[in-house]
Amino acid sequence: MIIPNASADGDIIPVTIIRPSRGWKGIDFKELWRYRELLYFLIWRDIKVRYKQSLLGAAWAIIQPLLTMIIFTIFFGQWAGIPTDEVPQPVFYFAGILPWQFFQSGVSKSGISLVASRNLITKIYFPRIAVPIAPIIAGLLDFGLAFLILIVMMFFYGIVPTSTLWTLPLFLFLALLTAVGVGIWLAGLNVAYRDVGYVIPFLLQVWFFLSPIVYSSTIVPESLRPYYGLNPMVGVVQGFRWAIFGVGKPNLTDLCASIGVAIFLLVSGVFYFKRMERTFADVV
Amino acid sequence: MSLPIVFKEPQEKTTNMNNAVIELESVSVRYRVPEERIGTFKEYMIRRIQGKVKDRDFWALHDVDLKVHKGEVFGVIGRNGAGKSTMLKIVSRVLRPTKGRVRVMGCVAPLLELGAAFHHELTGRENIFLNAALLGHTQKQVEERFQKIVDFADISGFIDAPMRTYSTGMVARLGFSVATAWEPDILVLDEVLAVGDEAFQAKCHDRINNFRKNGATVLLVSHNTQVVKNICQRVAWIDQGVIQAVGVPEEIVQLYRGV
Repeated sequence: MIIPNASADGDIIPVTIIRPSRGWKGIDFKELWRYRELLYFLIWRDIKVRYKQSLLGAAWAIIQPLLTMIIFTIFFGQWAGIPTDEVPQPVFYFAGILPWQFFQSGVSKSGISLVASRNLITKIYFPRIAVPIAPIIAGLLDFGLAFLILIVMMFFYGIVPTSTLWTLPLFLFLALLTAVGVGIWLAGLNVAYRDVGYVIPFLLQVWFFLSPIVYSSTIVPESLRPYYGLNPMVGVVQGFRWAIFGVGKPNLTDLCASIGVAIFLLVSGVFYFKRMERTFADVV
Repeated sequence: MSLPIVFKEPQEKTTNMNNAVIELESVSVRYRVPEERIGTFKEYMIRRIQGKVKDRDFWALHDVDLKVHKGEVFGVIGRNGAGKSTMLKIVSRVLRPTKGRVRVMGCVAPLLELGAAFHHELTGRENIFLNAALLGHTQKQVEERFQKIVDFADISGFIDAPMRTYSTGMVARLGFSVATAWEPDILVLDEVLAVGDEAFQAKCHDRINNFRKNGATVLLVSHNTQVVKNICQRVAWIDQGVIQAVGVPEEIVQLYRGV
């Protein structure tokens, strides 16, 4: 809590009262504003460090989804023959891989971020919530690079963007919200229980198959659809394909469920994070 | 445990209450030390169900009352594990007290470990911006002070080299330089004056003295009783989480040594 307090010479001196914190509390937006550039620098650090330490640098952002797409096309498309809604298989997969890899790499980096920055957390005070959010936003750069490949592929396959393309940023935003919600949950849990570090890859693998990346959501049995729609990444991937190819219009109820779940994950994640925050410096 | 011997604070009569810029009111900090380390969720759940989660309470600070006045250089001495660093962490908001209340007036520049926030793959230049952002400064503020920070740390030839190529002394100098580039109301120093060569130490002392002249308050922890005698006005001796004595440096250092 910071109370402005006028000193004798007229300057405003902030008074900070530090006391035991109990119970649930939300985000201190005033403080976040004061540290507004911190998030920017953490994002920038993540990007710089990654590109500096790797030989191929930015090329990884393109190679990874490209190779994944080729493998999916061979195994799931050609050999297993899973239908792809009349869309050429490589583009169909690529449009699903794009948001998925953004989500997956964001969540896995975010989940371990607090433990990885323990030297900061035990030494300096700053709003900790910036730590798990930064790697997710940094992933937007990789997303942008991979998106360029999608444009090239669409050109190659002669796919003309439909009028629904403007909705793409909205679905990307939904992916971002979901990633932040899941990321801060896992980051907070990982401080207390180091198992979470091992659980994350497994969780993401299961989540991958629960999202329509290597298949079209039309193959999901009708009776299971309401539950299936609760996964926000279903809304994201469906939305991406709809925005780009104009096929498989997401059902509005499903979409609302996706958004609802994403917001629930985010809000509950923030509260859990704030509750655990006071113990971070002790146990991390 | 011996009874705390509390010396009459010499300034108490002349200064009024509001003069305290750091005020600890019966502050206690408890660490829960598990009897055995439970590192995994499964283990935790099994033990919880069995009722076998046993924590040993360890009070790093116990009912500490302390006032640090404006413009003082206040030293804290004590053995390893006495609670000195915990106290600094409380004041710089890294830790929260388990009980009690801390009032801090003004902005605090914490220097709990020089260069802790540096990333070794980034260059000195990049690290200055990152470190300053962690301390809550904006990019514009850093640009204004950038040259001064580099000059003070005396690393101009290495500013665009990755941090991993720096010597320990260079890292420490840059850390000190960034953290003290903006005059804080309160400067918190944990054992950091022991770094660098003599010339740099002299520069650090100069800077701290300047801060003090301008009305800043310094709270520092040191093992080096000579440093404490040289630069502190008042000293607290802390042992096993309890303040044993507060007073003028010579007397307190003598008491501490007499243990």
